[in-house]
Amino acid sequence: MAFISSGYNPDKPMENRISDLGPQHYEQFYPEVIKKNKGKWLYHEILKPGVLVHVSETGDEVYTVRCGGARLMSSTLIREICEIADKHCDSCLRFTTRNNIEFMVDSKDKVDLLVKDLESRKFDGGSFKFPIGGTGAGISNIVHTQGWIHCHTPATDASGTVKATMDEVFSDFQDMRMPAHLRISMACCLNMCGAVHCSDIAILGYHRKPPLVDHEYLDKMCEVPLAIAACPTAALKPTKIEMEDGTKLNSIAVNESRCMFCGNCYTMCPSLPLSDKEGDGIVLMVGGKVSNRISAPKFSKVVVSFIPNEMPRWPSMTAQIKNIIEAYAADARKYERLGEWAERIGWERFFDKTGLEFTHHLIDDFRDPAYYTWRQTSNFKF
Amino acid sequence: MAKHKTPLLDQLESGPWPSFVSDMKQEAAVRAKNEKNIEYQIPQDAVEDLLGVLELSYTDGTTHWKHGGIVGVFGYGGGVIGRYCDQPEMFPGVAHFHTMRVAQPAGKFYKTDFLKNLCDLWDFRGSGLTNMHGSTGDIILLGTTTPQLEEIFYELTHKFNQDLGGSGSNLRTPADCIGEARCEYACYDTQDLCHTLTQEYQDELHRPAFPYKFKFKFDGCPNCCVASIARSDMSFIGTWKDDIRIDQDAVAGYVNGDFPPNGGAHAGRDWGAFDIEKEVVGLCPTECMKYEDGKLEINNKECTRCMHCINVMPRALRPGKEKGCSILCGAKAPILDGAQMGSLLVPFIEVNKEDGYAAIKEVIEAIWDYWMEEGKNRERLGELMKRQGFQKLLEATDIKPVPQHVQEPRTNPYIFWKEEEVEGGWTRDVNEYRKNHLR
Amino acid sequence: MELAEAKEKIVEALTKKAKSKSKFYFNDLSKILELKPREAKKLVNKLVEDGVLEYWSSGSTTMYGLSGTGKQAGAEHED
Ligand code: HEM
Ligand code: HEM
Ligand code: SF4
Ligand code: SF4
Ligand code: SF4
Ligand code: SF4
Repeated sequence: MAFISSGYNPDKPMENRISDLGPQHYEQFYPEVIKKNKGKWLYHEILKPGVLVHVSETGDEVYTVRCGGARLMSSTLIREICEIADKHCDSCLRFTTRNNIEFMVDSKDKVDLLVKDLESRKFDGGSFKFPIGGTGAGISNIVHTQGWIHCHTPATDASGTVKATMDEVFSDFQDMRMPAHLRISMACCLNMCGAVHCSDIAILGYHRKPPLVDHEYLDKMCEVPLAIAACPTAALKPTKIEMEDGTKLNSIAVNESRCMFCGNCYTMCPSLPLSDKEGDGIVLMVGGKVSNRISAPKFSKVVVSFIPNEMPRWPSMTAQIKNIIEAYAADARKYERLGEWAERIGWERFFDKTGLEFTHHLIDDFRDPAYYTWRQTSNFKF
Repeated sequence: MAKHKTPLLDQLESGPWPSFVSDMKQEAAVRAKNEKNIEYQIPQDAVEDLLGVLELSYTDGTTHWKHGGIVGVFGYGGGVIGRYCDQPEMFPGVAHFHTMRVAQPAGKFYKTDFLKNLCDLWDFRGSGLTNMHGSTGDIILLGTTTPQLEEIFYELTHKFNQDLGGSGSNLRTPADCIGEARCEYACYDTQDLCHTLTQEYQDELHRPAFPYKFKFKFDGCPNCCVASIARSDMSFIGTWKDDIRIDQDAVAGYVNGDFPPNGGAHAGRDWGAFDIEKEVVGLCPTECMKYEDGKLEINNKECTRCMHCINVMPRALRPGKEKGCSILCGAKAPILDGAQMGSLLVPFIEVNKEDGYAAIKEVIEAIWDYWMEEGKNRERLGELMKRQGFQKLLEATDIKPVPQHVQEPRTNPYIFWKEEEVEGGWTRDVNEYRKNHLR
Repeated sequence: MELAEAKEKIVEALTKKAKSKSKFYFNDLSKILELKPREAKKLVNKLVEDGVLEYWSSGSTTMYGLSGTGKQAGAEHED
């Protein structure tokens, strides 16, 4: 493994340096039919789950086949995607915000071949490489974060919880029997890189134990004031610790009752780790949406305060999710999003119909907005 | 033969959904064989070791990564996330395993030769694993060593004319919905606005001087497919001012059952015959629609442009012609003071390609000036707005308050009057006062 | 302000605090320079380019420090 230089000279980093290029220009990547009809589209129709047609005022049509995919993707798989696009789609493709892959063709007779090709491809382990679906009133792909694959603060894995959930709801990825779209998102700690706070169903990793303090190494590895400043709830303060051998060390004391388990201190200081097998697990939130359709966008609400991590397939979590989905599918009206349904029937009914247990953890007590989430009327249902 | 046994992960290979484990194993095998004779610049068994460390996490229920904040490419404050494995001896192939964020093209359209080039580079200088895409929108190259960072950056810029994305207290890589490229609802060209602003603000994107992160997202209409209203400090949502365009023949087509409602989105269940009264007129949140004598009427003045009727009958209804966008500010995830949606700042603004979006840039720059001066360390724009009040944002952007800015007027009269707003000012003579009021 | 003056001010202020902490927010730097953020940014960028300052990023936040100082370098195995 000999080092091969790209031409970069480490002694003179500014030599021949090119910067501030930004991304590629979008237009060079458009399929011909898109370039020609941009801004001229009249309407669309979902021909079957995962297959759409868009019709332009020029009479042109574009057929889109949407496939789910794991966002964690190898170059080998990307090359296979390229091979498919080369074969069927004039070497063009796109990804959606929800990590789906879209293959586009400009006439209907090309669709069947493409679909057959995509459906035929499976991994050695047996799963589909390119399941077709994710359209209309069904369940699309889950947007998610890094988890144990790559982050230092996750309270659960992202790719695994997503795979387990999508397997459980797979038939609804390929169907459109829901009352409206149902969007699931996943974030592996409360920092919520995935911004899951407005999803119909949100899977959230959550720690429940404050950081451990590695007193012996803390002052060697970390700068105490920086770690203290990183804590959003001011739960940390400097302290002096006497070790068994009598040496006195600068360290940090955690006011445990103030800790919200965010991991920011660990980001700043590796001597404050917080992950823990029993402490960490999953929170489920429901009823959020971002669309302005019919009702205003809504935040998701916490309806299950904790589910332990059950590797590798999180069966309790997927069962709860399935249960919520079925209660919604059975009871909501056409076009009604999960959160709109819960508000119409009342959250007390939501807990009835889903059979979820209501506990004190579900009552908001975090800062200002909490007060306004308590019931301030004599109207409620028994 | 696999380097590490992964009995737990193996159980994620079954089931219909694409298995990331199968994909990683396939990549590990490709690297082990190395049929293309690549001179791998990071350990050949990096993917094997990543499977190994992930299996360990599945066994002990904890992460095995540590954060690294120093690594990056010279002169850029963002674009690289440093990672070190906390079991480097067991998994030397991923001991140093940094990600690079590569700026994605607007709309996430690709030609295959671009992707293949990227794969070649990443096989050679990285793990061969990616995220397509990260949740901000960037292409994420998952896992390389420190010495490779500059090499990769050099090759990206010199060979592929391609830059990194943002992380840290920067403008983050902006993202957009597919918009006019393939969506009949789009009210402006999201790709062009996204790309133009990304290019315009490259300095803000790479060299952090903000109090915290800052995000732009672009949705072509109020359906908000990229969730701009919930997750961007400035959200640009397409909208229109004039009347929804109605094609009465197509309305009749829906009523007669010739076209499936909502573009066929509900075809998976028998919901009964389409009922325009119940499904469109009855669900209009502003009750501004009427269906009489086979004609659909909209009182457009009362319409709040929620998109419902248009979504249900895309062949019959289209947004108006006088299009532009609304700008909402301050959305953020719950950390730290609770989640915030974007608040409407500019009800309507022209999206004018010809003048390079001058009006929009003016708003953006006024907001940045305000936030950079007033924002505390790690304070998102939305938190600053909350701390100082919406009025301050109006002042900073020189926008006139209108009822559209609020859900409802304030429920307390505790107005912080300013001296100049009160007749005669605040300086008074106590002796004058005492002439009429004894001590 | 001239670059040399900015450098002197920054190096002096940061060195003085080096005992307790080595990383600073951008706002701290513009306060040291007594400049508006946009003005300060140009100088700070130049100092990064000249290798006087370096970045540290949490992923979500960026901080600045004198190049090579602080305990992070050791903790991150990059020294
Ligand atoms: C104190 C708060 C936060 C910290 C310390 C933090 C830290 C991080 C770190 C370390 C990563 C890199 C993960 C990896 O690739 O290894 C990351 C990614 C990311 N963060 Fe955050 N974050 C915070 C808050 C947020 C918030 C509030 C948002 C959005 C509203 C956000 C959005 C993102 C996104 C979109 C990514 C890309 C993640 C992905 O696609 O997996 N972060 N963040
Ligand atoms: C700084 C804050 C406040 C001050 C200094 C204050 C002072 C007073 C005073 C001096 C009175 C007696 C007036 C009179 O009978 O001559 C009064 C009456 C009253 N206050 Fe307050 N108050 C304050 C806040 C509030 C708040 C926040 C509430 C309710 C949420 C409240 C509710 C009332 C009510 C209901 C009465 C009786 C009025 C009546 O029956 O005529 N006060 N307050
Ligand atoms: S959500 Fe938390 S644990 Fe997950 S990638 Fe983001 S910062 Fe890391
Ligand atoms: S985990 Fe978060 S809240 Fe708890 S001590 Fe650390 S920084 Fe503070
Ligand atoms: S936000 Fe509106 S314009 Fe953009 S893709 Fe979604 S529906 Fe189309
Ligand atoms: S867009 Fe919404 S508010 Fe406007 S007419 Fe249609 S349903 Fe009513």
